[in-house]
Amino acid sequence: MSLWRVEWLRLWRTRTVWILFGVFVFFGILGPATARFLPEIMESAGLGGELALPPPSPELAMSQYLSNALQIGLLAIAFIAATSLAFDSKPEVAMFYRTRATIVEILIPRYVVVTIAAISAFLAGTATAFVLSTLLIGAPDVLATLIGSALITLYIVFAVALVGLMASLMASVPGAALLAVGTLIILGIAGLIPYVGPWLPSYLVGGFDTLIAGGEFDYWRAILVTIVASSAAVWASIYLMSRREV
Amino acid sequence: MPTHAVEITGITKRYRDIVALDAVTLSVPKGSVYGLVGPNGAGKTTLLGILAGLRSPTAGSFSVSSSRVSVLPDTPKFEPWLTARETVTLSAALGNVPNDSDAVGDMLERTGLADAADRRVSGFSRGMLQRLGLAAAVVSNPDLLLLDEPAAALDPQGRREVLDLVTELRGKSTVVFSSHILDDVQEVCDEIAILTRGRLVYQGTLLELVNSVTRGYTYRIEVRGDNTETIEALRGCDWITHVGVEEDGVLVSADERSVLESRLLPLLSNVGVAVISLGPVERSLEDVFLDVTK
Repeated sequence: MSLWRVEWLRLWRTRTVWILFGVFVFFGILGPATARFLPEIMESAGLGGELALPPPSPELAMSQYLSNALQIGLLAIAFIAATSLAFDSKPEVAMFYRTRATIVEILIPRYVVVTIAAISAFLAGTATAFVLSTLLIGAPDVLATLIGSALITLYIVFAVALVGLMASLMASVPGAALLAVGTLIILGIAGLIPYVGPWLPSYLVGGFDTLIAGGEFDYWRAILVTIVASSAAVWASIYLMSRREV
Repeated sequence: MPTHAVEITGITKRYRDIVALDAVTLSVPKGSVYGLVGPNGAGKTTLLGILAGLRSPTAGSFSVSSSRVSVLPDTPKFEPWLTARETVTLSAALGNVPNDSDAVGDMLERTGLADAADRRVSGFSRGMLQRLGLAAAVVSNPDLLLLDEPAAALDPQGRREVLDLVTELRGKSTVVFSSHILDDVQEVCDEIAILTRGRLVYQGTLLELVNSVTRGYTYRIEVRGDNTETIEALRGCDWITHVGVEEDGVLVSADERSVLESRLLPLLSNVGVAVISLGPVERSLEDVFLDVTK
């Protein structure tokens, strides 16, 4: 039994891994399905003539998947990551770990396992959306989907690191999760500021749609900032948690 | 080679305006079972937290000569989705104990959890969690074991098992044992420290404590019939320091036991009362504890 195995067991036995995969795969089905059948659905609801809907396309299918999946999916990732990373929320459990292992030994498996689970769930949803879009509408650009997914993967790494940082500031699961989600929303709003936006991690989210729609790759600045910010968040969380008293 | 497992010098711990520990200095002999006694809020848990490295003192210093330290909190909790066996195995693995399922099984057996070994912890009662906490703490063969109220939630059988386990550890590990249950402290501890309102008011053996606090000696006398005459005679003696009247007896104190032994009986004989009983009053640890922490 190791701390790595404990983290895998946490995901499995608390069924959080199914919640993550369920959310992303559900939207992976819903995105292409609504893109393909929305005109018929609106027609049968008697709204067909009143709304002008764009024609079904692979770009629309993937875009619908991502916009829905990232909203609910990020919330799920934040709460599941906080459950693992905010381990001081139960002081007696924290005492068990803290008197037997260093903060680095405790935190690194938590960061890694939650991040791998979140990325795997996102990729499973993306694969589902890709296959369903290919079957119902047409195949999205493979390379653009791969690169766009890599950008979102990096964004998820940043989101988990942010949850860890918030857990080091607030020893509460909902508190850490909501602080992290709030910060992501503020970063998204800050991304609307000209010249600042392309430097922010939130800029990576737009890359998925832009690249699949045939746009240019303009994400090196955001990638660099996201890697630096994620590393700094992990380092800061280790530093702050090692100084915390329980 | 240090003879003390723990040396604490002038440790103070403040939480804003509250002084949890006030310049506490004490030392715990290696291999001993050391009792930490005090009323609620005395600072026992804070002191154990500092020794476990979970809290930092505001002032003062301490040294722990042990490399492996285990702590059992007063209300232990664990990952609810792990089984008891997995929890103890994890504790052993983190304590660098070689992968030995026999040691884990033996520890679960000794703490009375063998039948619940493969059940998830989420369904455990408080007493079972305390037993599990003890198993997880002891399985890693700690040099220093910090137990915060280890028997507080246990039934009499569980309490007996804990005390037996602590007694077995004497000489192999140093045990710092915080408890409200003075009988337990009296039974297993070699030395004790008494804390009250964050201050150390006594450190030493129980015998020394009882002797140091008991000023003088007290005898209890019971006579047949009215004892008014007896009380008056006792109050008239300058070698008697205190006369206390109870419902069916009289307490008499003097500075020296020999004085009471040699002069009390002749005095009663002179008064001419029929003595039913006469004997020394032993002060319990509880009496002494209440005196010291008053």
